[in-house]
Amino acid sequence: MARKSNRMSKKKPARAAAHSSSTNGTKTAAAKWVGQPIRRKEESRLVRGRGIFVDDEKMPGMLHIRFIRSSYAHAQISRVDVSKAEKFPGVVCTLTGAEIKKQVQPFIEIGPGGAQKIADYPMAVDKVVFQGEPVAAVVAETRLAAEDAGELVEVDYEPLPAVVSAEDALKDESLLHPAMGTNRNWHGVFEYGDVEKAFKQAAHVVHIGRLHFHRFSSTPLECNVIMANWDPRSGDIEYHCNNTFPSFASQFLAPALGVRIDQIHMKSFDIGGGFGIKITSYPYMAVCALASRKAGGRGVKWVETRIEHMQASAHGNERVFLDTRVALDQNGVILAIDSKHVDDCGGFPRYEPLGCVIWAQVLPATYRLKNIRIDMHQVVTNKCPVGPNRGYSRMQHLWFMERVIDICGQALGIPADAMRVRNYIRKNEMPYKTPNGCVYDSGDYASMLEAAKRLIGWDGWKKKQAAARSERRWVGLGIGSTLDSGTNNFGQARIINPDAPFSGQSKVGIVKLDIYGEVVVSMGSVPQGQGHETAAAQVVADALGITPDLVNVRPGFDTAHNAYTGHTGTYASQFAVTGLTAIHGAAMKLRKELSRLAAWKLEAKEKDLEFGIGAQGPEVRAKGTQKAINYWALANLVNVNNAGMPKSLWDITLNCRHVFHANFEIPDVQRKYGNLTLTYAAQIHAAVVEVDRETFQPKILAYACVDDCGKAVNPRIVEGQVHGASAHGIGAALLENCAYDSDGNLLTATFSDYTPITAMNMPELLYAHMESPSPFTLNGAKGMGEGGAAPVHTICAALQDALYPSGVIIDDSHNTGDSLFHALRKAESGGYAAMVRVEHRTASR
Amino acid sequence: MEIKLAGEFTVQKTPEEVYGFLVDPKRFCPLLPDFESMEVVDPKNFLVKLSVGISHIRGTAAVKMTLVDEEKPRQAAYEGKGEVPGGSATIRARFQLEELPGGQTKVKWSGQSSVLGRVISLAGGLLEPLGKKNVQKLIDGLQQALA
Repeated sequence: MARKSNRMSKKKPARAAAHSSSTNGTKTAAAKWVGQPIRRKEESRLVRGRGIFVDDEKMPGMLHIRFIRSSYAHAQISRVDVSKAEKFPGVVCTLTGAEIKKQVQPFIEIGPGGAQKIADYPMAVDKVVFQGEPVAAVVAETRLAAEDAGELVEVDYEPLPAVVSAEDALKDESLLHPAMGTNRNWHGVFEYGDVEKAFKQAAHVVHIGRLHFHRFSSTPLECNVIMANWDPRSGDIEYHCNNTFPSFASQFLAPALGVRIDQIHMKSFDIGGGFGIKITSYPYMAVCALASRKAGGRGVKWVETRIEHMQASAHGNERVFLDTRVALDQNGVILAIDSKHVDDCGGFPRYEPLGCVIWAQVLPATYRLKNIRIDMHQVVTNKCPVGPNRGYSRMQHLWFMERVIDICGQALGIPADAMRVRNYIRKNEMPYKTPNGCVYDSGDYASMLEAAKRLIGWDGWKKKQAAARSERRWVGLGIGSTLDSGTNNFGQARIINPDAPFSGQSKVGIVKLDIYGEVVVSMGSVPQGQGHETAAAQVVADALGITPDLVNVRPGFDTAHNAYTGHTGTYASQFAVTGLTAIHGAAMKLRKELSRLAAWKLEAKEKDLEFGIGAQGPEVRAKGTQKAINYWALANLVNVNNAGMPKSLWDITLNCRHVFHANFEIPDVQRKYGNLTLTYAAQIHAAVVEVDRETFQPKILAYACVDDCGKAVNPRIVEGQVHGASAHGIGAALLENCAYDSDGNLLTATFSDYTPITAMNMPELLYAHMESPSPFTLNGAKGMGEGGAAPVHTICAALQDALYPSGVIIDDSHNTGDSLFHALRKAESGGYAAMVRVEHRTASR
Repeated sequence: MEIKLAGEFTVQKTPEEVYGFLVDPKRFCPLLPDFESMEVVDPKNFLVKLSVGISHIRGTAAVKMTLVDEEKPRQAAYEGKGEVPGGSATIRARFQLEELPGGQTKVKWSGQSSVLGRVISLAGGLLEPLGKKNVQKLIDGLQQALA
């Protein structure tokens, strides 16, 4: 595996010139650290094995819990007998769903109407709705005792018909949650412009049958880990865990467990990846707390195994796109799209049905589409519940839009690159308001495409493709355009449920000068490997005129730091905007307090002060004089040595908290209209893929990605994130699939079958970065890192290009040698004839 | 994962004799592959313990068997449900008897087995051939016992 990078920016990437010397021999730092590709502060401890993960921690008298899980995807529970397990040496207690039901309230449901009748308990009570759902738990002195005793728990089931496809779920023949009365937990129509008028005016109408975005997940190195202690004295619950959206978890846990939110203390350390799917670990957090309470307040630890993680943590959303109609003008410009989408959220909605609106952040994708009608449904099925997996909900829609572009382009004989350029939103149209009221802040998609083509050598590959085809080789070129919308407006939840009590977006940052003058930052984020400590240090260094190594950023998240709001967590590509703006705000407040203090002590005016690094470290000095005071002395004045300080300075704490608020309005719920997110990073990828004629195995011959996330706070981190997101997407496109059989058995619950991507099957990535600064954010940065599953779009496009002459339409996001073999057989028998139908009303150009 | 198998064989016994064998769990159940023990609950319900697994990875499966359908001497059917290591299994077996000249009986049999749970993920590829092998062992044993 290798990568080549190519920064399109003309700015020097070096970290030099961060300081200039002043006349008195001290250094004055200019605003230079943001934008520099400095090495991550976190790397030192992580590469030396000194990271602290939850499983490295122990509580005194700690116990271990094991879950007993359902083999059935759908069944009534007729009996649970834990008596033998309770007699096993070392077992302290057991828990069953029936027992838990008496102690907790069901988790709140976000969806309206019938969805409110779903009873989602931390463990199955009288029926199971997905394979792997916990039905009982054993708590023991050791993990081995819990494992062995778990084998003695007896559970009897009465199997029920399993519902494993979205289309079958819509039939309502077997209901997962009978109280809801249907399997469809959300439905809404998103309609903008004049769709029917556009179809009447169209030169061509393309009808597309069923498209399917498959179910895949993330494979973080560290699975879910929870350590819980419910203190019988205070009634407080202490969690050490790797949940990545603690505010969301607390809001679900507190009413379920009957405690106040401020009684729930959460702490994370280093986290070995998350990608969104650890957000919904709260049912397990509830059980661990209940187990701790039952065990008399002893700590309880749960370390999820890989099979448990694959089977019963969270998967990404699966979606089908049905009966799509596309209206185009004679140049291939898309005038309107009309389609029915059915999202499959698995056994319980949990974070859903938010995905039914999140996709609308990128409603027209990168295109100028004005008229669109999406009939959106979400159903429950007997599969693992979904979680907001990287690229959450937008990637499914973006894949659909890219498939539409390629299928229409092929049908009309318009090359893939030309089809995109004709439809892309132009640079001079930015900021661009979408038909549903979102505002794309900046971007130049056509230039990014040109850059991607140059990077991969598009024209050269076209010639090679022609030569390959003459040798009967299946070689295809593909483009994938994607958006990474970041900093979401929770007000969009009102479109899902008008009674949802949340909106906007906020984050907290705390920057303080400690007693001995250290700069200490507490973040309101839950980093999982994104380099937040480094980026935060860069921002604070610039604000205070010091260097990042002098900024001490606390690792992880801790409610004790009080750096949180109800939106706190790491999700939806936003730290560069929300987290860093909060930290910047706090740093500027601290700077102001330091100025006031220094002005008093140095008998100078604030406007005559400058910040920098002196012989004794960070200091504030009076310009043009020898007078200076260092941070230790300033902190000392406030914290230890404050007699004589004038009353006018008594409000100074040197402990500055700032809350970032995004400038959002609550959307118009009736029209489903409003600004749903703040920034739009973009990626354009290009790939060359060959399908082996003997084995049908697809192989990437060349791959290029061009990224634009506005101002890159740390280009090294950005490149790493693009690389990681590309690996995730390539794995999803060609390898990774949560495949279920008709009984609801997960067939890919181990890495042997799921086959996550590794360094061995990663192609060389050609990489370039462009910068279109956001006009809406500090420094012009945009959130990024999710990546929008660009490789899934790109590889499907390339496979389509390779196999279209053989009659194949790529209608699934997951393609393997086996599926391509069947696709070619299907094409030979004319199976795709009804899949795509084109009405030509006038000739295309 | 569902495994379905069917077949037929002829034995030199009358339908009454074959039927009597099939509905007697004490005689029928020991023919089940990897049979360990049996406990009769009542004439129609019994608990069978089987040693199941692949190679050296083995465990005990407790299967509740029920005689669900009997029509003397034309047919008998069993249903079983049990926990196997790493999953659950349901079994259905049906025998239809047809009298042939010369005191012979044609036994038409069909078997259906559904296996659920993580065992499918761990050993799904092995279960189908193993299941077929075990059903063939049962039928071979039955033919031998009735011979």
